[in-house]
Amino acid sequence: MRREETVKLISAEGFEFVIDKKAAMVSQTIRNMLTSPGSFAETEHGEVTFPEISTTILEKICQYFYWSLQYASGKETEFHIEPELSLELMMAANYLHT
Amino acid sequence: MSTQKKRGFQIEAFRHRVVVDPKYAEKTWKILEHAIHEIYNHNASGLSFEELYRNAYNMVLHKFGEKLYSELVSTMTSHLKAMAKSIEAAKGGLFLEELNRKWTDHNKALQMIRDILMYMDRTFIPSTHKTPVHELGLNLWRDNIIHSSNIQTRLQDTLLELVQRERTGEVINRGLMRNIIKMLMDLGSPVYQEDFEKPFLEVSADFYRGESQQFIECCDCGDYLKKAERRLNEEIERVSHYLDVKSEAKITNVVGKEMIESHVHRLVHMENSGLVNMLVDDKYEDLGRMHNLFRRVPNGLSIVRDVMTSHIRDTGKELVTDPEKLKDPVDFVQRLLDEKDKHDKIIGLAFNNDKTFQNALNSSFEYFINLNPRSPEFISLFVDDKLRKGLKGVSEEDIEIVLDKVMMLFRYLQEKDVFEKYYKQHLAKRLLSGKTVSDDAERSLIVKLKTECGYQFTSKLEGMFTDMKTSQDTMQGFYASMGPEIVDCPTLAVQVLTTGSWPTQSSATCNLPSDILGVCDKFRMYYLGTHTGRRLILADKYGHS
Repeated sequence: MRREETVKLISAEGFEFVIDKKAAMVSQTIRNMLTSPGSFAETEHGEVTFPEISTTILEKICQYFYWSLQYASGKETEFHIEPELSLELMMAANYLHT
Repeated sequence: MSTQKKRGFQIEAFRHRVVVDPKYAEKTWKILEHAIHEIYNHNASGLSFEELYRNAYNMVLHKFGEKLYSELVSTMTSHLKAMAKSIEAAKGGLFLEELNRKWTDHNKALQMIRDILMYMDRTFIPSTHKTPVHELGLNLWRDNIIHSSNIQTRLQDTLLELVQRERTGEVINRGLMRNIIKMLMDLGSPVYQEDFEKPFLEVSADFYRGESQQFIECCDCGDYLKKAERRLNEEIERVSHYLDVKSEAKITNVVGKEMIESHVHRLVHMENSGLVNMLVDDKYEDLGRMHNLFRRVPNGLSIVRDVMTSHIRDTGKELVTDPEKLKDPVDFVQRLLDEKDKHDKIIGLAFNNDKTFQNALNSSFEYFINLNPRSPEFISLFVDDKLRKGLKGVSEEDIEIVLDKVMMLFRYLQEKDVFEKYYKQHLAKRLLSGKTVSDDAERSLIVKLKTECGYQFTSKLEGMFTDMKTSQDTMQGFYASMGPEIVDCPTLAVQVLTTGSWPTQSSATCNLPSDILGVCDKFRMYYLGTHTGRRLILADKYGHS
């Protein structure tokens, strides 16, 4: 994957997830962040820190991004969510506007 | 995910962070305020979007949205006030540039702030019905800068002055104008209209009123129209370059009103260069321009049309009642055709084939052609002349053209039956003396008349043609049947005419020599032999040897 097309998402514990920009843009918040006219630190370095999102949640979110892109292009598969994650996942989703 | 989110809000019992610090809101706001300062000072690169977004998110989540909103308003207002001061301080020509620069800055900052506060925009604002951040930013800009007492008048004056300078021929910075005007449009159409468009239209009206007064004193009609057209095009170009598209209709109205509408009568009736002169001299370009300009003005074209109609009627009447010209019917009709051609060309070239003008032309012609009671006879004589000799050697298409023109004149006649009477006489003479130039041309004219007036009108005329044809056949039959006896007798060509179709003629008796009588009798017997129940009368008058 080329450097310009990816973005790094960093969880609260410091885990780094490198994903496509296209996948990240599924989140409105991240999209605004990356397309904002101002030169925020994130756009400069191509990485976003989420000190309030834990690693497991962030991982599930990245999976969701990819599933969402798949769904949009026609393949209708299931996205499974473990119940114990669901509340935290929803709060994160609210935050990220996904 | 999004549908689950809505349900998630209702389960709200679980809070994963408890607000302990009562000054939490204050602290969070301070972070955001600092960030906004930095943004306005073009210093945003050190900031973390995520952190700011998170802070705003948390504030709204913990019910401090109200505070966030009001603090935002006051911070932005104070920044804008500072900007206003710097704009006011700018001197002379730099005023607009400074304004433009600050506007760009503000826009950029506004967008960044909106992105940070996106969560508030999404959730807090709809529920409390406050203005969203972007709109809020524009409104604050408008209130603090554009409508601030110093800047408002200065801005308006500067813009109008620049337009005025451009009208007198100077080159101004159009890009800058475009940006400023666009700013006004972005602030909302009422702002654009109040602060710029209305005074612009007023000033323009004054300017053009003065200019038109000046011009009309010194220029003739053609020149004045040229100048008016030039100004009109200039305004249209100005709009396309840096004004709102919707202003185009308004400013063209203003120009039309001041430069054209107030002076319509004067222009049309101007001595030596008014409409009538243009018509007489075939000034297509000037006429076209006049048509184009007057089109924009209510009643403009109807005045032109009226003057043209009365002019045509006058010239036509003169033509028709002049005893000199009436001596030669062919020439008379030719002149009529020429007049018609000339005006058709004018309408085609200059007036864009406008139907109303065409109608006016037709009605005028109709009027004066019928003033002369001998017109139908003259037209028939004209056709007669053409078909006898005028169209000799002329190609088929040209013949058609001439015949079409004659048809056109025919349409103007009110006494078409008079025409038919004369035409029948002339046609009979032509057919019987065999002097017609082209049979096809004759027939084609009959067809045209039939299309125009219906079968009834031409039935007799067609009957004449049929008779001629039948007679030929009869003659062949006669000579075939007679055999060698007839060789000694003078050759006879008989045309058998049906009484109804041909014009009646007084039967002056004529004493024919015996040989001829002999042959005539033979023919009579032959004919009555083949056709029973008919009477054959010798019509000497039509014969020729």
